Amino acid sequence: MSGSGPAVRVSIESSCEKQVQEVSLDGMETYVPPLSMSQNLAKLAQRIDFGQGSDSDEEGAETEPRDPQEWGKQEPEEDEATVKFQPSLWPWDSVRNNLRSSLTEMCVLYDVLSVVKEKKYMALDPVSQDPSAGKTPQVFQLISKKKSLATAAQLLLKGADKLSKSVAENQENRRQRDFNSELLRLRSQWKLRKVGDKILGDLSYRSAGSLFPHAGTFEVIKNTDIDLDKKLPEDYCPLNVQIPSDLEGSAYIKVSIQKQAPDIGDLGTVSLFRRQPKAKAGTQPWHVKLEAAQNVLLCKEIFAQLSREAVQIKSQIPHIVVKNQIISQPFPGLQLSISLCHSTGEKKNQRASPEKPKPDDHLYVLEHNLHQLMREFHKQTLSSIVMPHPASAPFGHKRQRMAGPMAYDKAEISNLQQNEGLLEKIIKQAKHIFLRSRTARTIDSLASRIEDPQIQAHWSNINDVYESSVKVLITSQGYEQICKSIQLQLNIGVEQIRVVHRDGRVITLSHQEQELQDFLLSQMSQHQVHAVQQLAKVMGWHVLSFSNHVGLGSVESIGNASAITVASSNGEYAISVRNGPESGCKVLVQFPRSQSKELPKSDVIQDGKWNHLRGPYKEVHWSKMEGRNFVYKMELLMAALTPCP
Amino acid sequence: MEAPPVSVLPITGGTISMMEYLLQGSVLDQALESLLHRLRGLCDNMEPETFADHELVYLLKGQQGNPFLLRARRSLSHPTVPWHLRYLGQPEVGDKSRHALVRNCVDVAASHSLPDFLNEMGFRMDHEFVAKGHIFRKGVLKVVVSKLSRILVPENTENTEPLSLSYLVELSVLVPAGQDTMSEDMRSFAEQLKPLVHLEKIDPKRHM
Repeated sequence: MSGSGPAVRVSIESSCEKQVQEVSLDGMETYVPPLSMSQNLAKLAQRIDFGQGSDSDEEGAETEPRDPQEWGKQEPEEDEATVKFQPSLWPWDSVRNNLRSSLTEMCVLYDVLSVVKEKKYMALDPVSQDPSAGKTPQVFQLISKKKSLATAAQLLLKGADKLSKSVAENQENRRQRDFNSELLRLRSQWKLRKVGDKILGDLSYRSAGSLFPHAGTFEVIKNTDIDLDKKLPEDYCPLNVQIPSDLEGSAYIKVSIQKQAPDIGDLGTVSLFRRQPKAKAGTQPWHVKLEAAQNVLLCKEIFAQLSREAVQIKSQIPHIVVKNQIISQPFPGLQLSISLCHSTGEKKNQRASPEKPKPDDHLYVLEHNLHQLMREFHKQTLSSIVMPHPASAPFGHKRQRMAGPMAYDKAEISNLQQNEGLLEKIIKQAKHIFLRSRTARTIDSLASRIEDPQIQAHWSNINDVYESSVKVLITSQGYEQICKSIQLQLNIGVEQIRVVHRDGRVITLSHQEQELQDFLLSQMSQHQVHAVQQLAKVMGWHVLSFSNHVGLGSVESIGNASAITVASSNGEYAISVRNGPESGCKVLVQFPRSQSKELPKSDVIQDGKWNHLRGPYKEVHWSKMEGRNFVYKMELLMAALTPCP
Repeated sequence: MEAPPVSVLPITGGTISMMEYLLQGSVLDQALESLLHRLRGLCDNMEPETFADHELVYLLKGQQGNPFLLRARRSLSHPTVPWHLRYLGQPEVGDKSRHALVRNCVDVAASHSLPDFLNEMGFRMDHEFVAKGHIFRKGVLKVVVSKLSRILVPENTENTEPLSLSYLVELSVLVPAGQDTMSEDMRSFAEQLKPLVHLEKIDPKRHM
């Protein structure tokens, strides 16, 4: 037990499992390096024929002779391993193998990473590069850089190409969508329908009740004349409308009243044209175009109706229809012309040169009224009084249907029918407008010409198309409260003026301008005498006599002269006034006998009291009298003749 | 005593003879709403008009074969409006290409003593019915959508039962004789109603 014998050296040597590759001449044995795990696995995997299925035996037989040879060498270790690699044994074989190899790879990776990180057992050391191997010639570098750049550039170009193509496609798509959205907008305002592959629309007033035979169809076309490369213009619209050729441009109806032209040679050449108003900024071009075409259609319909009536309706003075103008005579010496001015948009065709603008005698009110009357006519054809009850009866006004059962006679039937056409209505309105303006002119000219008495006109704001009214007051300045006896109400009708006086008289004047003027002048002269009457009341003088229409003295050509005699309060003085529209005023004062010198003394009158009576008359130089108007002068005179108490 | 012989003479003198162009079709009750909507859109822009009429058909049997037929119609919704008497002639056998049924038509308004008058003249009432529905117009075209009902108790227009589950649609125009332009307009209008209702000319002879 305690070390007695010599130590025995025991050497342990592993069994030599490695194969001997070669034995060198000096006896050294070179071993084949043992296969690593992966190498081993790979070698074994090589033996597997993956193409062989479980039923192909001859291939299996082929590999068989190869395998036993190698098996013989490594049989003891690999017996179990080989059994696993038989492919026919198990369908999950390849999967398992793949998993295994991936596990191996992962382990290796993990090992490398841990080596890199921890540096405990192994460390990574950079291998020194061979310096001669890194130096490449510069030309080669340049060429390689160029090539790489070229590849990169090509890639970028391809990308850019794709992008631009997609942008262009997007724009095209947007234009497509724009056409549809424009079409939707168009449809929200205009009637459209699809006929075959065309889109047609209706811009006539048919659906609103018009009976004009014009179809009024327009076509909607896609605007394809667009260049994708150029920039889109500001007012580009993907939708275009094509209107019928006779509705192009714009039109309006001109109604004007002129003095009768001495010659009718240049009839039908109305071509003065007003500039069309600029379209609002937000409206689409097709909307502007369609509206203009619709307006042209309506103007054509109005003019057609007017000319038809002008030809058919019999009137005392026939209407003349020439080309695009209808001429009629509302009053003698006056000419009403209604013309359709249609310009197709070509400026060169305008014959009337705009350098010499004629005074605008276009009655816009009447043009507007024509449009309104036409629309009213349209509405009437749509009213429900035309609908038949019972349903099988023909269309027609329901009152006309009563004509049969009620046994109407011709007079009643003609009363039922509308006997006033468009033309007659417009002529009546024109007459009224003309009469009204002439009345106003007359009153204004009188007012500016004559200062004493003053004439005031109060026009009423609310008028009818056929009737207007004005209140005329004749006053003296400063004495409006005292002398307000002349107040006239003028009702201006179509052909006559009806005057209602304050005292109840009703006078009808014709359309002659002179009649109204004469009447007003006569009223003014009457006013002066009335004013004296009112003044006398105020001043305390007595009215001895008063007459609106004296039958003495010279005959006036306008109206009649009026006269008044007033006496002072104590009776001593008397004033006589005679005022006529033409002869002016004449004022005489009567003095008491005691003051007159030319009376002869006679012994018939013995009593002195008779001297207090009024005696001879003396005329007053009225024009030399002080005072700014007649009534003022009269007041001064009266005051002068009133004795102081 | 039997009715004196009646010879049918052409209407002459004084009146303009009118021709009626007619196209007929029918829709089921369920499709009425959509038809009314479409008509409302296609026809003139007016408030929709409904009607309720009572029609009596009078026959005069002469010695010849064909009896003389007159239609008297009054409005139940407007009782004071005059009666309407109508004579419809035989359909004109013109060219087959004409799209509508054309026949001579005489319309007369009459007072409320019309049934008595017709009875005195020798007419006998053949049948009567009540028609209720809507009426539309487009220019001179008239579209009548009506439901016909049978009168169960004579003289009593309250007690009715519908003849069928559909509405009769009629498109008609009255034009003076000689004008032949309306059939095209009628055809194009009928085209626009196409999938909802098929309006075509129906010869009454073939269905007798």
